[in-house]
Amino acid sequence: MKRLLTIVFAILPLISIQAQEVENWLDKGLSIPEVAVLGERPMKQIGTQQTSFSESVLKESISLSMADVLTFNSSIFVKNYGRATLSTVSFRGTSPSHTQVTWNGMRMNSPMLGMTDFSMIPAYFIDEASLLHGTSSINDTGGGLGGSIRLATKPLQNKGFGLQYIQGIGSFRTFDEFLRLSYGTRKWQFSTRASYSSSPNDFKYRNRDKRENIYDEQMNIIGQYYPIERNRSGAFKDLNILQEISFNAGRGDRLSLSAWYVNSNRELAMLTTDYGDEGDFDNRQREHTLRSVLQWDHLRSNWKLAAKAGYLHSWTAYDYKRDPGNGTMEVMTRSRSLTDTFFGQAEGEYYVGNKWLFTANIAAHQHFVESRDKNIIRQDGNQAIVGYDQSRIELSAAISAKWRPTEKIGLSVVLREEMFGRDFSPIIPAFFAEYELSRRGNIVAKGSVSRNFRFPSLNDLYFLPGGNPDLRKESGWTYDAGVSFAIGKTKRYSLSGSATWFDSYVKDWILWLTTPKGFLSPRNIKDVHSYGIELKANTSIALARHWMIEGSATFSWTPSINEGEPLTPADKSVGKQLPYIPEYTATATGTLKWRRWALLYKWCYYSERYTMSSSDITLTGRLPKYYMSNLSLEKSIALRWADLSLKGTVNNLFDEEYVSVLSRPMPGINFEIFIGITPKWGKR
Amino acid sequence: MVRFSTYFQLLMLTAMLAFAGCMKWEYGLEEDFSAEGKGLFVINEGNFNYGNATLSYYNPTTKSVENEIFYRANAMKLGDVAQSMTIHDGKGWVVVNNSHVVFAIDLTTFREVGRIMNLTSPRYIHFVSDDKAYVTQLWDNRIFIINPKNYSVIGHIECPNMTMETGSTEQMVQYGDYLFVNCWSYQNRILKIDTRTDKIVAELELGIQPTSLALDKNGKLWSVTDGGFEGSPYGYEAPSLYRIDAESFTIEKEFRFSRGDAPSEVQLNGTRDRLYWINDDVWEMSVDADRLPVRPFLPYAETIYYGLTICPSTGDVYVADAIDYQQPGKIYRYTAQGEKIDEFYAGVIPGAFCWK
Repeated sequence: MKRLLTIVFAILPLISIQAQEVENWLDKGLSIPEVAVLGERPMKQIGTQQTSFSESVLKESISLSMADVLTFNSSIFVKNYGRATLSTVSFRGTSPSHTQVTWNGMRMNSPMLGMTDFSMIPAYFIDEASLLHGTSSINDTGGGLGGSIRLATKPLQNKGFGLQYIQGIGSFRTFDEFLRLSYGTRKWQFSTRASYSSSPNDFKYRNRDKRENIYDEQMNIIGQYYPIERNRSGAFKDLNILQEISFNAGRGDRLSLSAWYVNSNRELAMLTTDYGDEGDFDNRQREHTLRSVLQWDHLRSNWKLAAKAGYLHSWTAYDYKRDPGNGTMEVMTRSRSLTDTFFGQAEGEYYVGNKWLFTANIAAHQHFVESRDKNIIRQDGNQAIVGYDQSRIELSAAISAKWRPTEKIGLSVVLREEMFGRDFSPIIPAFFAEYELSRRGNIVAKGSVSRNFRFPSLNDLYFLPGGNPDLRKESGWTYDAGVSFAIGKTKRYSLSGSATWFDSYVKDWILWLTTPKGFLSPRNIKDVHSYGIELKANTSIALARHWMIEGSATFSWTPSINEGEPLTPADKSVGKQLPYIPEYTATATGTLKWRRWALLYKWCYYSERYTMSSSDITLTGRLPKYYMSNLSLEKSIALRWADLSLKGTVNNLFDEEYVSVLSRPMPGINFEIFIGITPKWGKR
Repeated sequence: MVRFSTYFQLLMLTAMLAFAGCMKWEYGLEEDFSAEGKGLFVINEGNFNYGNATLSYYNPTTKSVENEIFYRANAMKLGDVAQSMTIHDGKGWVVVNNSHVVFAIDLTTFREVGRIMNLTSPRYIHFVSDDKAYVTQLWDNRIFIINPKNYSVIGHIECPNMTMETGSTEQMVQYGDYLFVNCWSYQNRILKIDTRTDKIVAELELGIQPTSLALDKNGKLWSVTDGGFEGSPYGYEAPSLYRIDAESFTIEKEFRFSRGDAPSEVQLNGTRDRLYWINDDVWEMSVDADRLPVRPFLPYAETIYYGLTICPSTGDVYVADAIDYQQPGKIYRYTAQGEKIDEFYAGVIPGAFCWK
């Protein structure tokens, strides 16, 4: 396979020669795919560092989660605990809880843990996704010391009935199904999306962390070998349903409702170092979550009002069971958590001429959390539950003024204030500026600075045992500077890119440490200085008649250094890179299109991650750098009555042995095929 | 259009360079060790769910340390959360809690000679004889009975008033035909087991969560509780150090600490007449003492003491600093008089020791 790919990509440069002939074909009026030219700079984005994902990236495959999308299309680090297992993301060397995530404006971060599991977000359910790097996140929310991720659904603009069905069948008996039903009129839009993914997920891998023994009759070891094992206890069944209703009253008024239900049942895969029998244990996590947001938008020529109301109900269960030998699974650990969140948001925008924009928004999240971590028998013989029952109101309000005195200059100031429980943050200021260096190349220089705070999560404060109600909120300063450009020629090519330098300081970083009593407890331990460079580039080229190539690439260099005081005289972590944060990451994707064919290649790279705060590299705690490559080929077929699509995907193209997290097995080369159908009811 | 070509070829060149890189792994290299004489094994727990437990070996005579000896000798990982190690029949038995395994290793070459599997969540192993050993468990209400000759589980001892979920049996000491076990997590008892019948014959209530157990020269058991934690429905109290007469299985003396203290790691010296434990500082007292000492043996020096052992032959005191639990911990070695004579780094979270 590797040889085949080498040949393919050796031939590809030759194709570019044909691009010289594109102009002639254009002159002859032949049809080629259209290439958009970038260049507009909205007032709302003055000075911001933002990465937006196109619909083609989000809708590349029904089997992809947002974790997969971010892994191959952004510079942020995705920490992946395995296939269909917890995946967290972190910007610029910060922790997963320093990434704030919103869905249709409502915060997705778990109020208990502070972070978001991106493996639970199917990319096919997201219509708009943007990364707001560093300071830019202040425009949306507080607490994003690394940045924020804005996810949203978007009403269709269809008329009549619509149906789309995609079936995916892949390695390890993986089945993915996606169905979308829609109905639209001039004013109403209804859409129902449903996806179901399941797999025993029992991929084979060579386990290099353990060896099987060969014994003689006296139980002496006479040989050893690294076993080829299956991923044990890794099965998953995920059901997602998204209902959207949108009413467009005309004249700029729109009311929309989005309700997203998740039903997930996932086993937690056994570690590579686990010598237990898979049949003896059941280690499982289940989740039922409903998120819903009702949104009203009122748009006028120079002002806008919007209001949102939302509700989240989430039930999660963790069970660890063992068969003691009698054929029944008996509970070793039984944890339950229940979260109810009520959400409200109001925002307004007002343009004064074309030089000033004023915005204001306020958001409230009221959480009610019940955590039941363990059942015990008390000293008096009665049963009791170890856990907590807490509620917290979280308010976040911001005002901003954006000024573009000339076409070349843009200035913006944002002031945000947050309150969690009874604790107020100081005023969070953010300043943004941009200057157009060249109109021809759309070269724009940007700079920004902001302060930020992150409040402890409810587990940080109240978890039993170990919750620490005396924790301080984390605080930070972030500085950004960069330059971006966008050039192109309509229907021929486009090329855009940006380079950003950032510098960030986080004080009172919260870390969970073991106590002398044996349990973990969070403390404000570290001061962290992260800095570095982010590069990204996108291009589209119409090579020749019916030929088109698209490419994107990112690169980031993110030293994230512990600058706190030594915990003990023996502490070697000061001045060292934080564990599990790669210093270098890179991604690249390329799509070659010809008529109704599309060949997509995706690639990502993570440099070696330290697993120790002292940056020691040991034999046992090593996470070598890795490169990952995926390839897919898609053919769409237009029939009179329907559009069909056929797609084949190869993941881990070069069958690399790799791990993202210690002792978590990852699959080798694997395949999936997809068949899609979209009937053309009344649209032939 | 020439620009297109150049740009495009650069793009492809970059892509092909990317293919050139591959992950490099080194596997299967077994190192030959020959650790003769006396030595100290340091059992480094590693981080829960990361499978990075390790074993270190320290030579007190040469003051040299070898880290990751299990991996280096066997070309495989020790596992997830190494809890304890016991020496019997010329073998070292390393209990790896969340890997559900006990490895038996050669004490000179550190090579594996066998393994016990089919365990729930093993914590400690105690050998009753060459043919019988007990393995205590967390999250299981049974103590497993093992035949060390063929590394197999041959039976269980059911513990009373425990479910699988609340099961917790820990350290074991033997007095004659009877074995004593402290029950720790959300427990407050010591169990007495008749090793001839494998039955629990008595139990004794102490304070909340006894963490460790030792037997002194006078036939007295020593255990210390941690007192639970604030907000625990099981209770929260001042911890205590208990002296228990093994013969009558009754509490002879209770030494109270302050509420919020976290005493742990009760250890005895080689002659079993001096008792040591950690409570922020490192403390020492005679087993015949009637009150707790007022001055520590080693005062707290911004070091998070985590593991403790006393050399049975010299009385040297070894104390482990786990630092931030995410880097190699440091071991400090003191004479019996409290004079520091050596220090070395081991593995992540050095929590237990075993003398060869």
